[in-house]
Amino acid sequence: MAIDLDLAPRRPQAPAPTPITVTRDYSTPDKVFRWGVQASGLGVFLLLVAIGSFLAWSGWPAFKVAGWGFFTHSGPVLVGSHANFGVLASLTGTVEVAFVAMVFGAPVAICTALFLSEYAPLRSRRSLIAMIDLAAAIPSIIFGLWAFFELQPNVVGLSTWMSRHLAFIPFFKVTSPPLNASIFIAGLVVGIMIVPIVASICREVFSLAPAGEREAALALGASRWQMIRTVVLPFGRGGMIGAVMLGLGRALEETIAVTIILAGSYKVTGQILQHGGSTISQLIAINFNQSGGALGVHDLLLCGFVLFLLTLVINLAASAIVNRSRSGAGVDL
Amino acid sequence: MTTTLPTAPTGPGHPQPFTGTRTLGEPGQIDAEGVCAWFGGRLVLETVNLTMEQSKVTALIGPSGCGKSTFLRILNRMHEVVPGAQLAGSVKLDGVDIYGPGQRAMETRRHIGMVFQKPNPFPAMTIAENVLAGLKFSRSTPGDKDDLVQEALTKAGLWNEVKDRLGELGGALSGGQQQRLCIARSLAVRPRVLLMDEPCSALDPTSTLRIEQTIKEIADEVTVVIVTHNMQQAQRVSDYCAFFLAAENQPGRVIEAGRTEMIFGEPTDQRTFDYVNGQFG
Repeated sequence: MAIDLDLAPRRPQAPAPTPITVTRDYSTPDKVFRWGVQASGLGVFLLLVAIGSFLAWSGWPAFKVAGWGFFTHSGPVLVGSHANFGVLASLTGTVEVAFVAMVFGAPVAICTALFLSEYAPLRSRRSLIAMIDLAAAIPSIIFGLWAFFELQPNVVGLSTWMSRHLAFIPFFKVTSPPLNASIFIAGLVVGIMIVPIVASICREVFSLAPAGEREAALALGASRWQMIRTVVLPFGRGGMIGAVMLGLGRALEETIAVTIILAGSYKVTGQILQHGGSTISQLIAINFNQSGGALGVHDLLLCGFVLFLLTLVINLAASAIVNRSRSGAGVDL
Repeated sequence: MTTTLPTAPTGPGHPQPFTGTRTLGEPGQIDAEGVCAWFGGRLVLETVNLTMEQSKVTALIGPSGCGKSTFLRILNRMHEVVPGAQLAGSVKLDGVDIYGPGQRAMETRRHIGMVFQKPNPFPAMTIAENVLAGLKFSRSTPGDKDDLVQEALTKAGLWNEVKDRLGELGGALSGGQQQRLCIARSLAVRPRVLLMDEPCSALDPTSTLRIEQTIKEIADEVTVVIVTHNMQQAQRVSDYCAFFLAAENQPGRVIEAGRTEMIFGEPTDQRTFDYVNGQFG
């Protein structure tokens, strides 16, 4: 039996379909809420723009005087009768402190997060998580004081050892002791400070790794570490990078702990183990009260603008790197 | 087919850890004795004695919450992955207690594979990588990867659908295809037993039939234990059936076990009769 299918359009003369415009009629509470969230969203953006333009605007006079020399000189430089200011030493110091902080802090934070989400016994897990979160709330001045009185005296030994045995790496060469108040120690403190926040975010991300895929790996005979490598780490990669970048932002702007530790010299140095060095935020913090002297307030604001740009670039880079990743991605067992 | 893997045969009289070489593709027999299970101190499964015959399909049936899945997960040491889970009794694979001293969970799971209710391929791995994932975990190198991928996918009834796109991501397949990929992934490590926890409950009828067909085809190479809520499915695919039941606030128990025809045709227990005839509760 053949079925006669009438496939011809019923009304060939009918006009081609056009999409209709769907009217969205929000209720009043919805409108109010919408307006509210929109306003706060835009507000944050505007604030960012306002701060940036304020810093640029207020720093401009200093830039007019110093010119591009601002980026190539370090500290106050006498030009004719006028003392110009350069940010170079503080800029490199900032990057160095942040780098040391990330080298020490990020791996420790990620391992801490893995321990909390994968290995810690269930009974102690909650209290450990609470402790990490509490550690994130410790004021940075406390870290600074602790580091000054407790950490620094104990780390100098390590610095000495490194300067003796690793001096073939230019960063670890020491030409002018002492080894306290160094970029290395400041970086270490900041590294310790960022561990709680980075660990906390990473743990959250790791714990979201799909249970089904975890079980799939285990049921195929994976060890726990293989399961973590196949499922947890690829799944958490985006979040992990985000967390580390957040930590980096924190490391770049850390002020008070660095101010307590760091000697504060306007000299570009790659020798992170020895006394000296400065960071932008430290520079601003220690000079703000006396501004009007060699360092004008415009110089400080221009320094602030540089720091602002630096963190902005870091965060933009982070969001470019972060792409959502799923388990199994890029795994080469 | 004989291949060398870092795993071993064990005779019933010679309990020993699974090490050395063994002939693969050999279905195993599981004897569960006095298996009990607890979650957070609450007994959920009581004294299950059950033998899952070599090369046969055993279906575990019963209403929700009667401990079927828990029992299944005890059979390849996946139960202990759940926090707060405890167990008692012994589970012997060809005479060797998988919970005995010196037995490692990951080793056991290579011999006793598992397919889950929800398809769980690694979404960012390709189809071929998914199939080979288990071998990478055991660090064994198959003679020819392509052959193995084809063999496993063919056994799982997926080869014809994916042979031209083995490089595509596992997560891009349909639900039924993903589940068959998971079966292929489990078969690729050549387990002796394959546990299936309601493998079709998230699938449409066509995919379900396809997987049932797969189960029948693989049964002479691997012992299958399947948890199912679908009575027809149990009848269609299984040789043996075990009926689990938990009375209110009681742990689950095996009420009756035996050949599938017997359980469905002339059960000895009234509760079994009621359940398989849909007159339950």
